[in-house]
Amino acid sequence: MTRRRLLDWFLGTSLGAMCLSVLYPVARYLTPPEVPEAQTSRALAARDGELKPNDARVFRFGNHPGILVRGQDGAYRAFSATCTHLSCTVQYRADLKQIWCACHNGFYDLNGQNVSGPPPRPLEQYAVHVANGEVVVSKA
Amino acid sequence: MSGEGDAAPGLRGWLEERTGLSALAGLARKKTVPLHRHTAWYYLGGMTLFLFTVQVVTGILLLLYYRSSADEAFESVQFIMTKVPFGWLVRSIHSWSANLLVLVALLHMFSVFLLKAYRRPREITWLTGVLLLFLMLAFGFSGYLLPWNTLAFFATQVGTEVPGGLPVVGRFLLRFLRGGDQVTGGTLTRFYGIHVAVLPALTTVLLGIHLLLVQKHGMSVPESQTEARTGRPSRSLPFFPNFLLRDAIGWSAAVGVLAALAALFPWDLGQKADPFAPAPAGIRPEWYFAWMFQTLKWIPSHVLGIEGELFGLLAFGLGGLLLVVVPLVDPGRDPRRSRVLTVLGWAVVAYVAAATAVVYLKHGP
Amino acid sequence: MLLVWAAGAAYAAEPKPAATPAPPSSCVTCHAELDGAAAEPARHAADDVHFQKGLSCHDCHGGNPAGPADDIEAAHDEKKGWTGKPPRLKIPQLCARCHADADFMKGFNPHTRVDQLAEYRTSVHGKRNAAGDEKAAVCVDCHGVHGIRPVNDPRSSVHPTRLAETCARCHADPARMQSYGLPTNQYADYKTSVHAAALYAKGDLAAPTCNDCHGSHGAVPPGVGTVANVCGSCHGRESTLFLETEAKRKLDLDLCIRCVVCHDNHAVHPPTADMLGVGPKSTCVTCHAEGDPEYRAAAAMATASARLKDRLAEAHDLLERAERAGMEVSADTFALREAQDKVVEARVLVHSFDEARYMAAVDAGIAGADHGVSAGRRAFRELRQRRLGLGISLVVILAVIAGLVVKARDLDRTLPSP
Repeated sequence: MTRRRLLDWFLGTSLGAMCLSVLYPVARYLTPPEVPEAQTSRALAARDGELKPNDARVFRFGNHPGILVRGQDGAYRAFSATCTHLSCTVQYRADLKQIWCACHNGFYDLNGQNVSGPPPRPLEQYAVHVANGEVVVSKA
Repeated sequence: MSGEGDAAPGLRGWLEERTGLSALAGLARKKTVPLHRHTAWYYLGGMTLFLFTVQVVTGILLLLYYRSSADEAFESVQFIMTKVPFGWLVRSIHSWSANLLVLVALLHMFSVFLLKAYRRPREITWLTGVLLLFLMLAFGFSGYLLPWNTLAFFATQVGTEVPGGLPVVGRFLLRFLRGGDQVTGGTLTRFYGIHVAVLPALTTVLLGIHLLLVQKHGMSVPESQTEARTGRPSRSLPFFPNFLLRDAIGWSAAVGVLAALAALFPWDLGQKADPFAPAPAGIRPEWYFAWMFQTLKWIPSHVLGIEGELFGLLAFGLGGLLLVVVPLVDPGRDPRRSRVLTVLGWAVVAYVAAATAVVYLKHGP
Repeated sequence: MLLVWAAGAAYAAEPKPAATPAPPSSCVTCHAELDGAAAEPARHAADDVHFQKGLSCHDCHGGNPAGPADDIEAAHDEKKGWTGKPPRLKIPQLCARCHADADFMKGFNPHTRVDQLAEYRTSVHGKRNAAGDEKAAVCVDCHGVHGIRPVNDPRSSVHPTRLAETCARCHADPARMQSYGLPTNQYADYKTSVHAAALYAKGDLAAPTCNDCHGSHGAVPPGVGTVANVCGSCHGRESTLFLETEAKRKLDLDLCIRCVVCHDNHAVHPPTADMLGVGPKSTCVTCHAEGDPEYRAAAAMATASARLKDRLAEAHDLLERAERAGMEVSADTFALREAQDKVVEARVLVHSFDEARYMAAVDAGIAGADHGVSAGRRAFRELRQRRLGLGISLVVILAVIAGLVVKARDLDRTLPSP
């Protein structure tokens, strides 16, 4: 191979490599990520059917925990899971059908109202929508 | 399949018949670049154009994910930085390239100024160039607010407060810029529209004129480099492919620099802007506005009976105007005037550099 | 004793006042125009809850309110039951005439309690009053005598925000308390406490004041074994844990008088991490000496708790730095909340005095913190990967530049010479 041909090949290949190293990130960038947008005002809390009646789960809503409760009647309710007393994460007590904070024995009813113990304020309630087999929680 | 006349075969012929592009190709082949001691400065124009192209491309990529409302702007930038694949790269390149673009544009303008390339017949080229510089600064100012973090919010507040001091038009200008009396989500939306639609449109027009005129007049050569006999430089280089290859070297180096800056010094997210929080200490605008900021601080409260800040504003306005009419001030007939202008140019650069340095020395990087 | 009972019975036999509003009273009209102490009852008539409910002077003092205002003989008519200023020792029975009558009281409020006198009789105040001690507190000492406001009125002397001062009127007076041999520092101590801060500074009416622990009418002295149950009425979880352990281990913790030995009874301050362990501010060493198994346990628990705090801080710091460097760590930062919850849970579990249980919570917390730390390290590894990617692309770019330089030189050689 002549020197010129070698040079052309070298230049072509390295230019090609450079183009690839630009196009690859751009191509990856253009493909939408798994979660299409920042989950600040809406969050997928669960799939419909994942929760049995009289059960609950804690999910992530933005940078804070939320709690999705499925009542005995099958209806979904969602609240902020940050206890209004000293910010521990609350949980659901199926035996009492109330939301409980283990830290200092605070209780909330299924309307988010603080009914017993130290919590001074109710839990913030969120709106729940069930669509396409998904339970989506958004700020009320 | 032969058309009228002497058409070239195949696709080339088909296109040629319809667009007549071969004439352009001919012109391109004839384009030359003078070779002399100061040839290196010619690269700056192309570099500015390249960096602007980088901004357009990364900007378009960013606007696929960015949200321009006060509630979502910060979170969308956070999303780009953390969730979108290579989003951190695109965003950091956009921010770094913006700064590089302003720097290179200033260098380009200054080199044209020193080499006196604004003289006849290139006065309009100079005019469009200066206006393009102002547009780049406007891009920088409007883009700075878009991440909606504390620093940007307060810098915008200070920056839009300043023109409010102008007589007669000041109040209107302030409300026009802010979209109201205060910096709010309305300001953000407005700045976004200005940044992605208004300024690009204006730039397209001015850049088009600028580039066309450069092609028409060719590269200017400083007097000292022309031969006394022919009035032309002794050597020149074809633009295609020789000079272009050299341009490509510079552009490749720029890509490398941007990639390194983005990976080693990713652009900060900051904290979400809170209009009700007090302004943090040490807010200041981007470096290319820092000298104005410092100058306003140095001006005494009253000068010649006018309020200090207003005097400063008027002085900046006058300076901008002078910049635009440089070709008319020094058409080249009076060598002494040229020398004075050169010295004045250096003095301004020295002052701007010193004022910028003071801001960074006092407040840190 | 018989006399007292008889007097009480005599009062009980008095006709009960009607529940309907009384006609305008000549008592108030006349007394309002008098000077000094005699005018005092009339001055407060408008504020008094009894007057507001339609009762008047004669309902307690007897006499004839319907006569002309300036006829003192007609008004102070003993045949109409006028008793004048009732004797101090008889005041509880006087008030109980109505307040212990359920039929009567439910006309005003179906929920109101009617056992105040019975409770009072169990209290030290009540017992001393029955023994003839004039200094012992009676109803009017706390509730006021003429301008009596309902308890939930913030201006009432027994409203939660004012009750402690009312008790302190006697209980902080050394001269008064000397004959009983009672201390007088309770009020001052209470004012430094976290309960007082909540009540007075934050306005939290749920915060306890004297009567929340000691009772309102059946005021009991702090008793061994009593106070802990009282604390437990609000601090339920801590109390439950405490009692569980006590029962399980068949401990007799009376000696420690439970909550008080670590937290004090009046000067209750916010608990700190120093209280656990064997350091200078530790409360464990109040009872446990070096060499005791409890001493070792306390030291171990304090060390574990400190380790959890440090690890959590390390995780937070790493993740924050990673986030500032542009890495995606929000999910991991979120997961650290669980570890933070374990810190709170561990603090509560101190009250179980069960080393194993406490350590389980701390270990779970440390595990969570460990996850945070490894997530942070993972983020920095990814950052290094980015730099590696950069390095590779720079190599490619340098190759391109080298190629371009050589090609440019090559092309220049083919140019026509000038």
